[in-house]
Amino acid sequence: MHRRSFLRIAPAIALLANCGKSPGKIRLALNWKPDPQFGGFYAAPYQAHGLDVEILPGGAGTPTIQMVGAGSAEFGVVSADELVVARSQGNDVVALYAVFQNNPQGIMVHASRKLASLADLFKAGGTVALQRGLPYARLLEKKYGFDKVKIVPSPGGDISAFLADKNFAQQCFIMSEPLTAKHRGADVQVFPVSDAGYNPYTTVLVTSGSFLRKDPDRAKAMVAAVREGWRAYLDDPKPTNQRMNQLNPSMAPEVFAGVADAQKPFIETDETRRNGLGSMTEERWQTLIVQLKELGDIQQAPAADDCYRAL
Amino acid sequence: MRRLRSVIPALIPLLVVTAAAELAVRYGFVKSYLVPAPSSVLRAMIESRAELFGALLTTSVSALVGFLLSTVAGIAIAVFLSSSRAIQRAFYPYAVFFQTVPIIAIAPLLVIWFGYGTRTVVASAFVVSIFPVIANTLSGILSTEPALRDLFRLYGASTLVTLFKLRFPAALPQILTGLRVASGLAVIGAIVGEFIGGQGLGSVVDVARTQQRVDKVFAAVLLASVLGLALFGLINLVSYITLRRWHASEQ
Repeated sequence: MHRRSFLRIAPAIALLANCGKSPGKIRLALNWKPDPQFGGFYAAPYQAHGLDVEILPGGAGTPTIQMVGAGSAEFGVVSADELVVARSQGNDVVALYAVFQNNPQGIMVHASRKLASLADLFKAGGTVALQRGLPYARLLEKKYGFDKVKIVPSPGGDISAFLADKNFAQQCFIMSEPLTAKHRGADVQVFPVSDAGYNPYTTVLVTSGSFLRKDPDRAKAMVAAVREGWRAYLDDPKPTNQRMNQLNPSMAPEVFAGVADAQKPFIETDETRRNGLGSMTEERWQTLIVQLKELGDIQQAPAADDCYRAL
Repeated sequence: MRRLRSVIPALIPLLVVTAAAELAVRYGFVKSYLVPAPSSVLRAMIESRAELFGALLTTSVSALVGFLLSTVAGIAIAVFLSSSRAIQRAFYPYAVFFQTVPIIAIAPLLVIWFGYGTRTVVASAFVVSIFPVIANTLSGILSTEPALRDLFRLYGASTLVTLFKLRFPAALPQILTGLRVASGLAVIGAIVGEFIGGQGLGSVVDVARTQQRVDKVFAAVLLASVLGLALFGLINLVSYITLRRWHASEQ
């Protein structure tokens, strides 16, 4: 009796076991909810490149880069500074495609304060919501000093504290929270963090060194699909936005459209027109590595040309 | 000596798990960016001792204040609820609300109500730790032995006298059980509050996590559990002092 019931479920077990390691399945772990900064990943024609891709949305604190290193996702989306820190700790992850060529992070303030620069903001006082663990937070601290302002944790994408307090400034994605704030009636001014000299690639597609060695062809196919996806999304974000909006209904459709439009100059630059969307240079990686070393984020500096691979 | 010997059984699993983790990382079975070696946690603790112990102190104060508030308020609410069936029916369901409130979801609101800093953290510790105090105190007060209650009535004792001389002491073992549960929750509540409100161990964990410093995350978590243990020990001490002469659990 027992044996027979085992026989009956044996094929099911075999099927389950196979499904885990079926060669077709590829997981792409994002570090946030579906929104326009991932538009090209949702628009990518994976099937046309022979790939079966499952996108795993993330949230605050999702350990995306550890997931990729540990093999619980074949690909991930992280920022370049995370990758450098991970590599310096022995997590063998490699960047393949940089969506944002310029750092879209910034600090948004109320325009009524009439501040002229980041230096001004840190002199003016008030509250600044900032994720202190981020390298650029320490760079700002080093450069401008935090003694005049009160630093509080970043509320993620939530802007209610900002709306409630005129002297509240918060870290943001230049093309995201400020639009939401304007949408809700605030008069917003944004200072890009790159003004302070910190400009890593962000929203970077990464994989593990072991996947790259084991399956270079599919890594290559992935990059090609993602590049086509971004081309398509830049040209016409509408159908993809609709799909992402269904997955992430908390963001208004007009915000989806606004963000997709506002982020274009960060994604398509003179450089990508020459070298292709998503391309990276050794020089940029080297600059970042030196900065992170100076900030004390890494002890050992990884080699710049190990950090990324052009496929 | 007997005390010392009673600690040994608890130390054995600690040593075994620590040694196993150390070896697993050292021999490459587990990557150090996923699980840190105990030695690197210790190193992180020593390197960042000033920051970590300062944070521990901040968290301890907030957790303790939140815990004391929920002790006082929880017992007061339970006494109020025990005064009549009707009151219990009317208000107890709202007390249950405290148990089910997803603190992580309302924490951002706490910041808007109480501002960044200690008050938000205390409020968070209070909200998550009050329910076990209410529930256990209430059930303790309500399960006074009927015979004793009759005896008090027979001698014409007032409601207040009955409460303080009979119901309350009789409920003490259950109240203390509620406090044991609440003490651990208060530490969790404080740390969640600190994620959003800033400062303390919660902030250290948040920063270390962003920096991919798993060793420092574990060091901070370890200190948080030390805090939880200390609170637990404190309640056990109170329990021993108050119950040893008459209750089976402490004899």
